[in-house]
Amino acid sequence: MSLQVNVKDLLSNLYHNRGVVELLFGQRDHITVNELLGRDDISEEQYRKLVSLDILYEYENVVSLNDAVVAMFEDFMEIGEVTPGFINDYINELKRHIKFYQEAREMRFLRSIKKYLKRINSTLTREIIKLQKNVDDTYKNESNYRIKLQKLEDYREKRDTIIDFIRQTTTIVDETRSLFNITNDSELFGIVSSLKVSLIENLDFLIEIQTDITDFINKIQYQLDVYKKAQRLKEVKDHGTLHFKTNFREIVSGINTLKHNGHKTPKTKIPIDFLYSDDGHVLCKRIAEKYKITRLMVRGLADKMAGNFKDQGLVQQIKLDTEKLVERFLTQTKLNLFEYLIEYKFPKAIGTVTFEERLSLFVEIAMEYQNQLDFKYRLQYHDYIEANTELKKRLGYTLILPLKEKAKKEKAAK
Amino acid sequence: MEETTSFNLPKQTHDIFSVMARGAFISSNGSRDGMNRLYDVINNPENFDRLQAYFNVIRYNIERGNNFFYFSKLSEPNSELEKKLERFERYIDIIDLFASMDNKIGIGSRFRPSEIAEECNANVRLKQKLQKIPLYRSETLHNKVREICDLMSRDSFLELEDEKSESYKVLDSYNYLLDVINSVAIYEESGSSDDTQGIIYN
Repeated sequence: MSLQVNVKDLLSNLYHNRGVVELLFGQRDHITVNELLGRDDISEEQYRKLVSLDILYEYENVVSLNDAVVAMFEDFMEIGEVTPGFINDYINELKRHIKFYQEAREMRFLRSIKKYLKRINSTLTREIIKLQKNVDDTYKNESNYRIKLQKLEDYREKRDTIIDFIRQTTTIVDETRSLFNITNDSELFGIVSSLKVSLIENLDFLIEIQTDITDFINKIQYQLDVYKKAQRLKEVKDHGTLHFKTNFREIVSGINTLKHNGHKTPKTKIPIDFLYSDDGHVLCKRIAEKYKITRLMVRGLADKMAGNFKDQGLVQQIKLDTEKLVERFLTQTKLNLFEYLIEYKFPKAIGTVTFEERLSLFVEIAMEYQNQLDFKYRLQYHDYIEANTELKKRLGYTLILPLKEKAKKEKAAK
Repeated sequence: MEETTSFNLPKQTHDIFSVMARGAFISSNGSRDGMNRLYDVINNPENFDRLQAYFNVIRYNIERGNNFFYFSKLSEPNSELEKKLERFERYIDIIDLFASMDNKIGIGSRFRPSEIAEECNANVRLKQKLQKIPLYRSETLHNKVREICDLMSRDSFLELEDEKSESYKVLDSYNYLLDVINSVAIYEESGSSDDTQGIIYN
């Protein structure tokens, strides 16, 4: 056994490998050595070290955490199997130390008494919470019937054990009241009174759990009974007498679920206005793609253009260009979309492209090619002089960069 | 948004409506699409009263079962008796099959269609039961079980928990079917030896 006795070493080892510890705690008994070493956060060497320190175990190629570590986490998180046996140990220890103290009134015994009283208090509460969680979990998730019933019966027994411990503790506390009074120790007094309160609370809680368990068992029993009934109904049905020898017809006619009565989900029409919105356009496009209506797809695009451009002739030429323009934009990394368009030298055949036209091109590209662009949701400003009025104006625009993959690659390169 | 706040309704009201108006159940142990969360929302007594009042205006009524909720229609005649009878006869077949399995399928159970098919293959009685369930075109036992599971999950009694492994989970709404079956009374010629018929009906 080379497990560290030093708290600091243990903690730092756990901390350094916290990723692995978390993984192994989350997926107990599933991780093989190769899987673990395949991950980035642990090297072969580190792994060997952890195994040599007994933090990890390896059995038939499956890695698991040291049980003590798992138990510690489980205790903190109040999960795991219910283990009322601990309480029994503590009660025995408590009794032992009370006896010692009765013989020799020494502080060290009193200290132990306090310790065990506190432990009993916290362990009782924890075990009861675990019991509650486990009962619930078993009922909801255990798939095998017989095992489910068996497990619930087991929990019932554990509950009885815990109740017994509570009774024992109460008797001990009552019997030693005079002894505790003599000590005149205010801390002890506080511990005892809080223990008493929590004993009563816990007893109430256990009674609640008991009703839960009984309830669950009854439900399972009910299911089994109904299953028998179903088998008999099936028999009757196979004899062709289901409608005559039972009130099946009556019962079924009284069924009021929507599904079985053919009540359809209310259907609403799409408002026309919605189709003009951006979301509506996307919807139309999707439908057009689904039914392969190219006419609709083309018209969707053309409609938008008409709104944006003044000169129809120019529009079409630029439209032919847009895709290539975007392609070119995507291959460069220096400029953002706005700057790129403002700076871009269009071929002479198109003639001069005004600031407004470049602006609407910006909007169009932003809308049509949004999937290939990286929207930064940050504003940048552009100062310019308006052609007609010769006023100085400032324009805020969204920062749009080429394709995300590029950005990722760039980051990776850095 | 405005309306929801002025009625003081939970923000999941629309989700609840869209699930239940489809005729589906909301079960406490369903996990798809946050179903268990929706259940908790309805189950909160304050929410329940508000939602009930709100939906009643549009003539939907929230019906409460054992760990599940569903909608019924107020003041509208329940129709299509023949179809309903047919459907519930089929449910009897299915539940009879489930009931006859060694590893009984109940609420909270997880299973894969292949497991059921396997068991049916090994047991002649089960095999016959499965083959006799009408309305399925599939040939192999496995596909037949698959169709049953598919049908039951469309009716929101099962949930396909993991598509890769094809594993299903039985939801609390399954209680509804059990309750229906339990409330059917069988008239015996020789007096009534067991009076299991209860009125657990919502």
